[in-house]
Amino acid sequence: MKWLKNFWRTFNRPSVHFSLGFLALGGFIAGIIFWGGFNTALEMTNTEEFCVGCHEMRDNVFEELQPTIHYSNRSGVRATCPDCHVPHEWSNKIARKMAASKEVWGKIFGTIATRDKFLEKRRHLAENEWARLKANDSLECRNCHNFDSMDFTLQGKRAAAMHSTALASGEKTCIDCHKGIAHHLPDMKGVKGW
Amino acid sequence: MKQKTFIGFTLTMAIAFFSTVMTQVNADPINPILKAEIDEEVTAPEIAKPIKNDIKQARNYPMQPPLVPHNIRGYEINLNVNKCMACHNRTRTEESQAPMISVTHYMDRDGNFLAEISPRRYFCNQCHVPQTDAKPVVKNEFVDMEKMVIKAEKEEE
Amino acid sequence: MNITRRGFVKASAASAAATAAGITLPATASNIITRTGSTELKWDKAPCRFCGTGCSINVATKNGKVVATHGDIKSPVNRGLNCVKGYFLSKIMYGEDRLTQPLLRMKDGKYDKNGDFAPISWDAAFDIMAEKYKAALNTKGAGSIGMFGSGQWTVMEGYAAVKLMKAGFRTNHLEPNARHCMASAVGGFMRTFGIDEPMGCYDDFEAADAFVLWGSNMAEMHPILWTRLTDRRLSNPDVDVAVLSTYQHRSFDLADLPIIFEPQSDLAILNYIANYIIEKDKVNWEFVNKHTNFRRGVTDIGYGLRDEHPAQKAAKNAGNAKGSTPMTFAEFKEFVSEYTAEKTAEISGVGEAQLEKLAKLYADPNKKVMSLWTMGMNQHTRGVWANNLIYNIHLLTGKISTPGNSPFSLTGQPSACGTAREVGTFSHRLPADMVVANPKHRAYAEKIWKLPEGTVPPKPGYHAVLHNRKLKDGDLNVYWVQCNNNMQAAANINEEGFPGYRNPDNFIIVSDVYPTVTAQAGDLILPTAMWVEKEGAYGNAERRTQSWYQQVKAPGEAKSDMWQMVEFSKRFKINEVWPADLIAKQPELAEKTLYEVLFKNGNVDAYGLNEVPDDRLNDEAREFGFYIQKGLFEEYAAFGRDHGHDLAPYDRYHQERGLRWPVVDGVETKWRYREGSDPYVKAGKGFEFYGKPDGKAIIFALPYEAAPEVPDKEYDLWLSTGRVLEHWHSGSMTQRVPELHKAVPDALIYMHPQDAKKRGLRRGDEVKLTSRRGHINIRVETRGRNKPPQGLVFVPWFDAARLINKVTLDATDPISKQTDFKKCAVKVEKV
Repeated sequence: MKWLKNFWRTFNRPSVHFSLGFLALGGFIAGIIFWGGFNTALEMTNTEEFCVGCHEMRDNVFEELQPTIHYSNRSGVRATCPDCHVPHEWSNKIARKMAASKEVWGKIFGTIATRDKFLEKRRHLAENEWARLKANDSLECRNCHNFDSMDFTLQGKRAAAMHSTALASGEKTCIDCHKGIAHHLPDMKGVKGW
Repeated sequence: MKQKTFIGFTLTMAIAFFSTVMTQVNADPINPILKAEIDEEVTAPEIAKPIKNDIKQARNYPMQPPLVPHNIRGYEINLNVNKCMACHNRTRTEESQAPMISVTHYMDRDGNFLAEISPRRYFCNQCHVPQTDAKPVVKNEFVDMEKMVIKAEKEEE
Repeated sequence: MNITRRGFVKASAASAAATAAGITLPATASNIITRTGSTELKWDKAPCRFCGTGCSINVATKNGKVVATHGDIKSPVNRGLNCVKGYFLSKIMYGEDRLTQPLLRMKDGKYDKNGDFAPISWDAAFDIMAEKYKAALNTKGAGSIGMFGSGQWTVMEGYAAVKLMKAGFRTNHLEPNARHCMASAVGGFMRTFGIDEPMGCYDDFEAADAFVLWGSNMAEMHPILWTRLTDRRLSNPDVDVAVLSTYQHRSFDLADLPIIFEPQSDLAILNYIANYIIEKDKVNWEFVNKHTNFRRGVTDIGYGLRDEHPAQKAAKNAGNAKGSTPMTFAEFKEFVSEYTAEKTAEISGVGEAQLEKLAKLYADPNKKVMSLWTMGMNQHTRGVWANNLIYNIHLLTGKISTPGNSPFSLTGQPSACGTAREVGTFSHRLPADMVVANPKHRAYAEKIWKLPEGTVPPKPGYHAVLHNRKLKDGDLNVYWVQCNNNMQAAANINEEGFPGYRNPDNFIIVSDVYPTVTAQAGDLILPTAMWVEKEGAYGNAERRTQSWYQQVKAPGEAKSDMWQMVEFSKRFKINEVWPADLIAKQPELAEKTLYEVLFKNGNVDAYGLNEVPDDRLNDEAREFGFYIQKGLFEEYAAFGRDHGHDLAPYDRYHQERGLRWPVVDGVETKWRYREGSDPYVKAGKGFEFYGKPDGKAIIFALPYEAAPEVPDKEYDLWLSTGRVLEHWHSGSMTQRVPELHKAVPDALIYMHPQDAKKRGLRRGDEVKLTSRRGHINIRVETRGRNKPPQGLVFVPWFDAARLINKVTLDATDPISKQTDFKKCAVKVEKV
């Protein structure tokens, strides 16, 4: 108990050796370093390498992503995991990252540690993503697929018809029609339009 | 002059020699798909590109399953979902404007109509296949029955 | 021209569409057609030309051409359905390059092995053939003559070949391409049950509670049976489907239990299941005690390679591969006990939980299980073992011969069962499961054929893989290939097949419909009639025999395989082919031709032309002057009647959509070996495996043994080969149907995206695929219908331009002599 009291006294006492300016500046620099570190760490978790570091991601969703057009295509513009699953805007990103603590929990307790467990949860997991994209008007899709830049004359007849009406009017958003474009679909019983 | 004749002679001989070799090589590979000797190395053609122009192809006869005129990359047909039916199912065709699956597809093994697509018809790609831009290697001389009918009618007239 | 309202609407719609597309329709196209006389089609039935499923087809003809085909609604097999190949049957006969006259390699008007193909008459073709046959007979004897036939031959063609070769020329070097496809299944059946072909039938599909696919990709290779399985699974959510393979394919789309295993480890998984059943006390003791025996098979049996191959030299028991000794249940239990979940998971790479789920399907006494397999199990250097091990599981649990309980060996070809197996076109066989090595069987055949005792040579001939080796070595010199494309189909083209055919000592005759790769390798090509251009019968995988009438004429001078053999037999007198001591037994035969002795023997010519319906084509019968197809069929049927292989009278097959043998008292048999459904099972027996003398089936103790060639540092990938939905086998028919060709134009190498990345490759790259035997150039596919795991690549073999069998290894199952086309080691490099 005694060492704690001593520590508190030292900690609480005004500085005699360092100037206020030094302390303020030092604090600021430390803050930058800390903040930078935090952001770097955060961005590190925002890469495909990080995501597929876990076998749950590598063996299931990443395996499924590879044959799709979002992984390999004509122009080579491709989507990595965070492109679709992490918002680009900072506050949303932090919110998503905080929500991700649940995923850490899941990792620790192995909620999708096996293929069977993953398949059992697939509908639930997919619904989460559909709901999130529905709520943000398919924001992560639109980060790349800009409605104003679509040339309907270069699209298929059916695609152009849909995009120029339902999507244009805002009646529908991307995820309403484009489910399962990067990963396999769950059991679609009862899902509208399937 | 003599030299010229000699060169000319050699050339003629060479041409004659090579042309016999050429005809032999050309005549031998009778398989129109291999187009080479069996022990020859052949290069692989580029992967053919899918045709996705949405233009229906006439069927060779009424019972022929229609070909798929669009891309089906990534379309899933499995225990969870049948992507084709998201457009071609009866209830989906108004919105999709895709052709409805044939009425036969609602019949079970014994010919009874079901409320939904018959499970025996579930895997669409067993009968309906998309096409690529590959050129047919061998021409097919199948005759459309309508041509025969037209010919017969003409002869009658 | 009188246009009706309906006609007008139709015409205007068409012209509106045409106008929109900027084209003008010919005036006739807007005509409406009403006269029945001109629109009527002639419909008839025929079995499908392609796989062993045996769908029945309705064929429409008009003006001497096939104009439409569709699935026969009356057929119990397919009930109106076809796969995409079946729907395009109408076009397979009309490729522009149909062969219509014999072609001989010639130089300066004479036969020359290095000459170019030039047309000749049938007469001239038979002249040169007879010359070569007689030369071979006179110098080296009948042992230098061989024939390679087919599971796509009609029953009558196969039977004519057996007679011509085994009784006529007196050589057993007759093989069907079914050796590549079903030999291990036959070996499995004979070893376990003593009689060939499945005990169950397709009705099992509607009765089973669980399906287990062992290495089979039914979704592509048996699409119509897949529709029946799909129907059952999707209509009954409690039904389970387990799919096992070395790579992911379309059948996985329906899998409740998908399992990818390391090549060859199926042997361990099968033993693990047996172990699990015993450990969990799920053995059906009543069944096992009454109806089974246990035996221990010989191990370390080699790989059917040439004797000098190191893998062959290293094998201890290559000479006694078939051997086995009796054992007790306790010993069997001890034997399988080493296949624990842990060990099996290690060998196979399959998780223990998955393994247990699979074993539970079999162990659960309330689940009726249908096991299904084809080439994954049969094209396997331990294929007979794998078949035996599946039966072990079904026998231990008594899940056999009852509706839904069915170890079911699927068949590749339309008549691999009907022709190759039942007729016995193998080097060791005679009709109805009889074998040349058995003196009683030979005597039986000679009696039916009205030939002297000793006509049929007792020594089994060369098997299919040995054919190519013996051609190369110069031991086989005159070789007739019919109804198959073995240059493309057989493994190791570079080292065996091609040098064999092109050996200057050899004369190779190839009967085919189109100029195949094999035809190209041959010396004489005979133009051949196909499918409904002749009358015939096929036998499918569920013992169903189906017949069809000739429906159109063959083009040009094309003739059926049967006509070719029978007509050719006229070229030989008995005293030109048989030794004096044999002729002495029946001297009146000496001056007769093989044709007279074999085909005008009072049996084959017993039915007159009056039995051929007037409104039916039958070019062959009319040419020979008797109903030859019926004669051949009936003489052949005499082998099996009262021997568990009973066939109905021939005429009945023209009325039915096939019947499943044994057909006793006019009734077909659905489930064999079970009292009440099989007339051969004696009353009170319950079950009786009457192929074995004591009526008991055998449960075999057989271990896991490694494949002969496994990936190493240099050749670092497994290669598996196989088929695709859109093409039939070597593609000679289907590559000529534009729609099928455009659906799948080229064979590609399917590989995992990471395997491609590691080698600096991407989809579409041209690569060199190399094994120790050869290489081909091929394009990379990383996102196709087949998804191999890392470490394995898959290449289909249909493509005549990508001869993958230059790369494969000609290792065989030492018991069945069937090649393992599914496993060898390769490397892939960018071109």
